[in-house]
Amino acid sequence: MLQKVKVPVSVILEYNSKLRRVFPKSVHWDGNDYPVTKVGFHHTFREGKTLIHVFSVDTPSLFFRLRLNTDNLQWTLEEISDGEVD
Amino acid sequence: MEKLISLSFNRKPPTVMHLDLNSCFATIEQQANPRLRGKPIAVAAYDSPAGCIVAPSVEAKRYGIVVGMRVKDGKMLCPNLTVITPDPWKYRNVHMQFRKLLADYTDRAVPKSIDEFVLDLEGFPAYRKGMVNVACEIKTRIKKEIGEWITVSVGIGPNRFLAKTGAGLNKPDGLDVIDKNNFIDVYSKLRLVGLCGIKTRNAIRLNNMGVYSVLDFYNASVQKLKAAFQSILGYYWHLRLHGWEIDDVEYGRRSYGNSYALPEPLITAEKLAPILQKLCEKTGMRMRKAGYLAKGIHLAIVYRDQNFWHKGITLADFVFDSRDIYKIAFRLLNLSPYRSPVRNLAVSCFHLEKVQNMQLSLLEDQTKKQNLVNAIDKINEKWGNFVITPARMIGMGDVVVDRVAFGGVKELEEIIIN
Repeated sequence: MLQKVKVPVSVILEYNSKLRRVFPKSVHWDGNDYPVTKVGFHHTFREGKTLIHVFSVDTPSLFFRLRLNTDNLQWTLEEISDGEVD
Repeated sequence: MEKLISLSFNRKPPTVMHLDLNSCFATIEQQANPRLRGKPIAVAAYDSPAGCIVAPSVEAKRYGIVVGMRVKDGKMLCPNLTVITPDPWKYRNVHMQFRKLLADYTDRAVPKSIDEFVLDLEGFPAYRKGMVNVACEIKTRIKKEIGEWITVSVGIGPNRFLAKTGAGLNKPDGLDVIDKNNFIDVYSKLRLVGLCGIKTRNAIRLNNMGVYSVLDFYNASVQKLKAAFQSILGYYWHLRLHGWEIDDVEYGRRSYGNSYALPEPLITAEKLAPILQKLCEKTGMRMRKAGYLAKGIHLAIVYRDQNFWHKGITLADFVFDSRDIYKIAFRLLNLSPYRSPVRNLAVSCFHLEKVQNMQLSLLEDQTKKQNLVNAIDKINEKWGNFVITPARMIGMGDVVVDRVAFGGVKELEEIIIN
């Protein structure tokens, strides 16, 4: 099931200076920790002048779409999916 | 003309490569969400039963789901179908990553749409590696640098048409070459309506002249083809099928427009006005951003009973303000003789020009108006589209949402410019 939401979420972000890459390591949501196993896709766009980063990440139990507002550095959870049909 | 009739197949080595991203939107969604990989999914304009499917995944296509089908019909064919609404920025990001990657091979990499690219390697160092080797390298790099689930079908040929035809031979993840050595074999396996640009009506035209297969088409004389198409198109087709380039043409911007497929059946002009206003705002903003003014406004309406009505008007003076575009479009809307539920509404501005100094008006202070519009555009640009909107648009929310245009890359040029 795919659910669209818009809730603040806690994210641990890792930066690898050798690879020059940033990726979410863990998501804390609804009282649970979800270690990120895979970043499916990372894309960016602008809302006005604000640069938004979107990370589509998979964890052992759920898929999350995470949004980082680079103006205020706030993370928002936008989508949750277990990959099953509604 | 006699010389043209005896034109043989182009013997030059194939240097044109066509890349087609397989099931573009659906594949990108599967790339983003690994839980959807290997499953039948479809990207649809709306996830409601009447929503139109714009991209079925490779797995969904195996159930017979095709582009243009309704969600409810797709679910009848495949009850396990997962339906997703489009995420344009995701697709635009992939498109931009493709552009960046392909620029490493040639500066003659032309995007034909959001998911199609044409490369001409003639004279570039990459050509020395061999066209097939370059294609394999690109495929590997796409998986490594863009996404491991993303596949492309590649066609290689002496011209754009044959390269595109080659890319369509084996989907997904195909790699085919059409050249002087195998074109007869390839043509003999293709159907006339399978050629890009030949659909039922053109096939009938050709049938009327005794052309029933692609081989007949290839062997037909220029006169016969000119007679079939009743135009220069016959000659162009003769060149295409013989491997000579005719499609290496880039068309400039002629108009700016926005359209909207209405989810609910609205009839009256008053009810349609807020949607029309938003379409005009979007069109006007994009046009001004590119530095254009327009001297023509066009309105097109598709009704739910399949009736179609459209009208364009050429103006005496240039317009740039979305409010002026709306006024004219609303006047056109009221000229429609139909009073039935609307399915699709489209506004466009044409007769575009980049004018530095506008004709001053006795009745209106154009400079003042231009300054006001520029100021509103700047605010909207900084804080996001539609923070300042006409009162008529209040409460519209996400109506007329962001979409990726089909079959063109003009909107992507706007993103690159900005």
